[in-house]
Amino acid sequence: MKSHSVLNMALLPGLLCVSALAAAAPVKIALVETLSGPQASTGLTYRSAVRYAVDRINADGGWHGQPLELLEYDNQGGPAGAADKLKAAISDGAQLVVQGASSAIGGQITEDVRKWNLRNPGRELIYLNVGAEAQSLTGEKCQFYHFRVAGNAPMRVKALVAGMKQDGALGSRVYAINQNYSWGQDMEQAIVDAAASGGYQVVEKTLHDVGKIQDFSPYVNKIAAARADTVMTGNWGSDLLLLMKAARASGLKARFGTVYLDQPGNIANAGDVALGGYVAQAFNAEAAGEAGAAFVQDYQAKMGHAPTFIEPQTVFGVLLVGEALKHVPAGDGKLDVRKLALQLEQASLETPMGTLSMRAQDHQALLPLAVSVVSRDARYKADGTDLGFKPVKRFTAQEAAVPAQGTCRMQRPD
Amino acid sequence: MEHLAIPLLNGVVYGLLLFMVSAGLTLIFGMMGILNFAHASFYMLGAYFAYALQGAVGFWVAVAVSPLLVGAIGVLVERHVLRRVHRYGHAHELLVTFGLSFIIVELVKLFFGNYPVNYRVPADLDFAAFTLGGLDYPAYRLFMGIVAIGMFVAIYLLLSRTRVGIIVRSAIHRPEMAEALGHNVPRVFMGVFGVGAAMAGLAGAVAGAFYTTSPNMALELGVLVFVVVVIGGLGSLEGAMLASLLIGVVTSVAVGIDATPADLLVWLGAGDLAQDAAGILSLKISSLAASLPFALMLLVLLVRPSGLMGEKE
Repeated sequence: MKSHSVLNMALLPGLLCVSALAAAAPVKIALVETLSGPQASTGLTYRSAVRYAVDRINADGGWHGQPLELLEYDNQGGPAGAADKLKAAISDGAQLVVQGASSAIGGQITEDVRKWNLRNPGRELIYLNVGAEAQSLTGEKCQFYHFRVAGNAPMRVKALVAGMKQDGALGSRVYAINQNYSWGQDMEQAIVDAAASGGYQVVEKTLHDVGKIQDFSPYVNKIAAARADTVMTGNWGSDLLLLMKAARASGLKARFGTVYLDQPGNIANAGDVALGGYVAQAFNAEAAGEAGAAFVQDYQAKMGHAPTFIEPQTVFGVLLVGEALKHVPAGDGKLDVRKLALQLEQASLETPMGTLSMRAQDHQALLPLAVSVVSRDARYKADGTDLGFKPVKRFTAQEAAVPAQGTCRMQRPD
Repeated sequence: MEHLAIPLLNGVVYGLLLFMVSAGLTLIFGMMGILNFAHASFYMLGAYFAYALQGAVGFWVAVAVSPLLVGAIGVLVERHVLRRVHRYGHAHELLVTFGLSFIIVELVKLFFGNYPVNYRVPADLDFAAFTLGGLDYPAYRLFMGIVAIGMFVAIYLLLSRTRVGIIVRSAIHRPEMAEALGHNVPRVFMGVFGVGAAMAGLAGAVAGAFYTTSPNMALELGVLVFVVVVIGGLGSLEGAMLASLLIGVVTSVAVGIDATPADLLVWLGAGDLAQDAAGILSLKISSLAASLPFALMLLVLLVRPSGLMGEKE
């Protein structure tokens, strides 16, 4: 065991250096997510993904040997709670805020972060958006310290159209039904915009209230009356489940193209109703091959469940930050957030799905996507059923990308 | 013809479901003066009990047993929780039921998880009753409607035609006199609360399989149930039935109307005005469908504050 003590001797100066850094100021990451109340289930999945990713960064040595510290705040499901908790996070010394569920909350956080950064030069804050997919966040509201590592409506629709077309499942008559708020309106616009390139006609568009409708059969009547081949929807939660169940109960033949069909519980609850439904996802373990299998296995071992829904994209997003951190010099031991933001613009990461990188122009991540169909042949089953998501088409980050919006006029620091 | 027939039928069945849940709420309020915030939670419990039981005893037994379990929970709640706070007044009772609704939803999450569960229509009921306008009409919807009508008839007859009904009604109007005549009024209240909870449980057990059984189902229906009771008149069973059907049909038919308020102005010959105003005038009726019940409630409160069939006070 002599070699050990020699090793210790060699490591000692390094360790001393680390402890000096730790005494200075650990890098604090604040998760401001919905951790209680009716929407908590989604917030909790974001939390487990962020925990996993931060642990992985720390296992790799954190930032110059100093572990990152994760702080968790419950925004209670609304923008007002998020604004409060953001203040708390700032006073606790957070330098990076992570949030994903709800574009309304994302809109609040990005504005608050922008104002804070204007008023407190030298004490900047980064908002890492892991799931708020509203177009405005990388459009008119885009700002230098906001980074989105999730998709957006045009990306999802573009992939969905290409994937369903390849499978011969798209047809020529598409019905757009979405929730009446920023995300649903973006989806509707994206479905209309993709009509020409997808070679279909949008036969009718419907926006409906969010989470208030129990009985979707009147909407199914409208879809049937419009003789739609495909129903495209950005609906999530019960709005998606109830819509699909009502459609199947009426024997509607139309296919479904969705964004959130892989939300946990959907397949368990819908069962065969979901069969043949398409979804555009940021991660599909089967499509990602061996690297995907390794990731699923590691995640399952550490977090107790397989990564689904928004978890993979969140993990990759936080790991992208870890990648950027490697290129930020230690300096006096305190993280220079401006330098991190500049590095994040250049960052790229090899994920099991392919290369993930950040577009400097509007801070929208370029991420690989997959389009999958619910099938019994899928290798990975969902929710303990015999159904799973069988990939039909993969897209590299470049193939999935859509051009930045002209409305983004980013103020860059000098 | 069929363009109107299907929405009407859908609306009626959905209205009947609303009635099943709101009937218990309005009964409990009418008899005991308690606005039970936990009522929709009983609806959720009914669905979860039926889901948990169906694997062991089959769908039909589960649907029959789960309302009894929910009713028993209702009895326990009344006996051991509400009766204690009764003397502090209605505000305390309301707060207790409000807190109870949170406890129930968290317990459900604890036992069944955060996500929707695998509770579905049984295979022998999963067929089309008839086909109308190219769309199948699921037999299970008719089944839900029949259960609701059966429940309405049974409760109505029980209250108006039997001895039990006479005692219950007298205990409501003149509790002291009923007590003086030797009737155990607290026990009557306990029974009413239990039956009200059981009715919500039955609605949950039946509807949970058709819609979704998830920890959010109480929240999703809860507000609407209160709207039904307010429109129908607090305490009126017939009012609840009328209001449920009204809401069901109005929301169902409204979905099919793509007109906007601007179209009305155009028809009146003020098209230019509507074009200029845009904004709220260009909203489609169909996109407001789920909000119409609330508008209806506002209207009823303004015109007839006691509700459609409520007693004048």
